[in-house]
Amino acid sequence: MSTIVREGLGRPGGTLRAMPDATRHLLQLEGMSPATMRALLVRAQAFMQPGEKGKPLAGKTVATVFFEDSTRTRTSFVLAAKRLGAEAVDLSGSGTSLSKGETLDDTARTIEAMGVDAIVVRVKQAGGPHLIARAVKCSVLNAGDGKHEHPTQGLLDVLAMARAKGRAETFDLTGLTVAIVGDVNASRVARSDVIAMTALGAEVVLVGPPAQAPRSLGALGAKVERDLDAVLGRADAVQMLRVQFERHGGKGIASRREYRAGYALTTARAKRMRPDAVVMHPGPMNRGMEIDDAVADGDGIELPRSIVLDQVSCGVAVRMAVLERLLVGGPGDGPGDGLE
Amino acid sequence: MPTTLITNARVIDPASGRDETADVAIRDGLVAEIGRDLDRSIADTVIDATDRIVTPGLIDPHVHLREPGGEHKETIETGTRAAVAGGFATVCCMPNTTPTMDRPEILYFVTSRAKETAHCRVFPVAAATVGRQGEQMVEVQMCQNAGAVAFSDDGDVVQSAGMMKALLTTIGELGSVFMQHCQDTTLTQNAAMHAGTVSTKLGLTGWPREAEEIIIERDARLAEVTGCRYHVQHISSAGSVEIVRRARRDGAPITAEATPHHLTLTHEACDGFDTAAKVNPPLRELRDAEAILEGVADGTITILATDHAPHAADEKAAPFEDAPCGMIGLETALSIYIEALVNSGLITWPELIAKMTINPARLCRLDERGLGMLAVGDLADITIIDPDLEWTVTSRELAGMSSNTPFLGRTVRGRAVATLVGGEVVMNRLNPHESVQFCRPGRAPASASF
Repeated sequence: MSTIVREGLGRPGGTLRAMPDATRHLLQLEGMSPATMRALLVRAQAFMQPGEKGKPLAGKTVATVFFEDSTRTRTSFVLAAKRLGAEAVDLSGSGTSLSKGETLDDTARTIEAMGVDAIVVRVKQAGGPHLIARAVKCSVLNAGDGKHEHPTQGLLDVLAMARAKGRAETFDLTGLTVAIVGDVNASRVARSDVIAMTALGAEVVLVGPPAQAPRSLGALGAKVERDLDAVLGRADAVQMLRVQFERHGGKGIASRREYRAGYALTTARAKRMRPDAVVMHPGPMNRGMEIDDAVADGDGIELPRSIVLDQVSCGVAVRMAVLERLLVGGPGDGPGDGLE
Repeated sequence: MPTTLITNARVIDPASGRDETADVAIRDGLVAEIGRDLDRSIADTVIDATDRIVTPGLIDPHVHLREPGGEHKETIETGTRAAVAGGFATVCCMPNTTPTMDRPEILYFVTSRAKETAHCRVFPVAAATVGRQGEQMVEVQMCQNAGAVAFSDDGDVVQSAGMMKALLTTIGELGSVFMQHCQDTTLTQNAAMHAGTVSTKLGLTGWPREAEEIIIERDARLAEVTGCRYHVQHISSAGSVEIVRRARRDGAPITAEATPHHLTLTHEACDGFDTAAKVNPPLRELRDAEAILEGVADGTITILATDHAPHAADEKAAPFEDAPCGMIGLETALSIYIEALVNSGLITWPELIAKMTINPARLCRLDERGLGMLAVGDLADITIIDPDLEWTVTSRELAGMSSNTPFLGRTVRGRAVATLVGGEVVMNRLNPHESVQFCRPGRAPASASF
C-alpha cells in the first residue's frame, strides 16, 4: 500500500514551479554545497585583508529592498556593493506599494525594470525572496525571510568563528562544537547558522526553553539540549540569540528572571566557559537580558573573548564575496558561474 | 421525452449490488430499464459504452462554489461545469461565502442561482452558527426548509464544546447531519502547513495532528450522547483515522471523508514554498496518507470527497504564509481515486463507486430523493467512466475558473467521459477526437449524436 504514495502519487506533478536557479540567486544555504560555501568564505577572508579591492562591480546596480526594519544588514550590503564599485540604491520605500495592493512580485518586477542587477530583499514572510526570484531575471539575495533563513548571516558567522578559531585557511570546522542559545525556533539566523556550520563539519547544539527550542529542531541536523551549563563546558563558540518576547504571546517564557536563570549568558556562566571559547551575537543585543553587559564585551582575559564586532566586519566581506560571485563570477570562475 | 439507451456497459450500482454488463434505458429523466440486449429500435439516442463503466451520478458532499462573494474564484456556473467535467452529477456546496450561507435568504439565493446557471444538481450546506463565528446558532429549521442538506461552519471549527452540543442536539432532532472542519484553533495560530520536518526547515509555523484529533475525540463523544449524525470533513491524520475507527466500532453515529490530496500527497509538496500545496488541513506525512488509504480500504472512511477550493492565480501567487488555503479537485478527483485506490488494488470498483455515490447520498439524505442509486425508477443521474483513458492534468484541460492544483502535470489513467443529469447528457467527451462538450440541464439540443 505504501508504494502508492511512494511511487509517483506521493509527489506532485512534474510542472510544479521548481526551485529558482541557485546559480543566479542566494535564497538559502540549504542545498548549497560545502565547496561553494568554502569558496565564498575564502574570498570573503581575502576581502578582510587590507588593500585595494578593485572595482569588479563597476557599472552594476544593487538595490536594497527591506520590508522589515534593519540597519546593519542593509548598511552592510550597501557598503559591500560600493566597495566593489557598484552603485547601491535603497528602494525600501517601495514597500509602501504593497500597502496599496501591489503584489510582492509586481513590486520586484517594477524595481528590476529600473535597471538593477541585484535585489537584496528582506521580507517578513518565509519564502518571499523565492517568490521574487521566480518573477525577475536579475539576481535576488535573501537578507532574511521570516523565520526561514538569513544566508549571508550564516556565512558571516562561520567566517568570524573560523577566524577566531584558526580555521580560516580551510574552513573545515570538524571537531568544533557551537552552541546556539535562546529563541531558536523564531530565528532565521539560527537556521542558516546550523546549515552552514554543520555542512562544514561543526557540531551544533541548540539550547533554549522547550517552547522556543523544541526537540523537533533536531530535523535541522543539530542537537537540542536544555542544560546550558553542561553545553558551555564543551562549546568552542557560543552564539546568543535575541529574545523576541513580543513574539510569544505569553506562551513559553514566563518571566525575565526565569529565562535568565536557565538560558542567559551571565557573567558567572561565562566564567565557566572554556578559556579559548568565543562569544557571538548576531545583534541587536539586549544587554542584561540574554547576555550580561560585561560578557558582551569580553576581552578573552577575565571573560571569554567576544567577537560580536568582528561578526559585523565579516558581514561586509561576506556580502562582497556573494555579490561578486553572483554578478561577475568569483576569481577563477567564468562570469555567472554563481552559486551552484 | 425521447429515450436514451446506454449499451454494453459494465453497470455498477452499489446500492442494489449490481455489477454486470448490461444496457440502461432512460426515459423521462428516469432509469426505465436495465438489462441485456434492450431493444435499440425504441431509442432516440444510443450511447455505446463498451469497455466503459456506468455508475450512478457521482456525488461530492464537499465543494466550494464561491458564489456569492467570491465570483473571481469560481461561480455556481463554472464550479458545476468543473463538477460535470469530473463526472459529478451532484455537489453539496459549503457555506463560507460572502455573505455566509447562515440564513434562509442566502440559501434561497444559492438554490435559485443554481436553477438558473448550474450544470448539475446543487444542494447547499448551511452554516451552523451565524457568520460561522461559533457564537449563535443559525435558524436551523428554517435553513433546512430552505434546502440545507447539512450544517457546517467549514473553514472554521465550532470551537466551543457547549455550542457543539447544542447544535448536535438540535440538528439531530431534525435528522440532519453536522459536518465538522476539525481544527482546534488554539493549537494552530499562524500555522501555514503540517508541523513536521519540512515546516521546521522552512521556518513556517506548524499545524499539528493533535489539533484535528482533539476535536474528533470530543465530537465523537458528543455525537454519541446526542445521537446526532456527525461527519468528519477532509480527514488528514493517522490518529484521526484511528479515532474514527474506534468511535464507529463503539457505535457512535460518525462518518468521515477523505480527499484526493490527503491520501496521495505529503508535506514535501510544500517544499520550495509551493502555494499550490497549501491546504487546510495540511498535507501531512507518508504514514498519514497510508493510514487514510487503509481507512478507506477497511471501511472506516466511507466517503470520498474533493474539498474543491478554487482560488485566483494572483491570490495563490502570494508568499506562502499569506496565500489562501485550498486546491481545486472536482476535475481530478475521480482519476486520482481510481489510480490510488482501484488501479493499486486497494479496493474494488463497486467499493469506490459506493464511496462516491450511495454513501454521500445517505449522508445528506439524497437517497430519499432518488440520488446515488441506479435502479429502475431512480433519477437518471449517470456517470460513464473510461477506466483506461489516460490524460494529463493541464490548466487547459480544466473546466472551472481556477487552476490551483498540485496535480498539474500528472498523468493519470481513468476518467469520466460523460455525465448525465436527469437523463440529459451535460458533459460529453465520449468521442476522443472531439473536444469536451457541456450542456446545462434543460438545454439539450433536440438531437445529439454520440
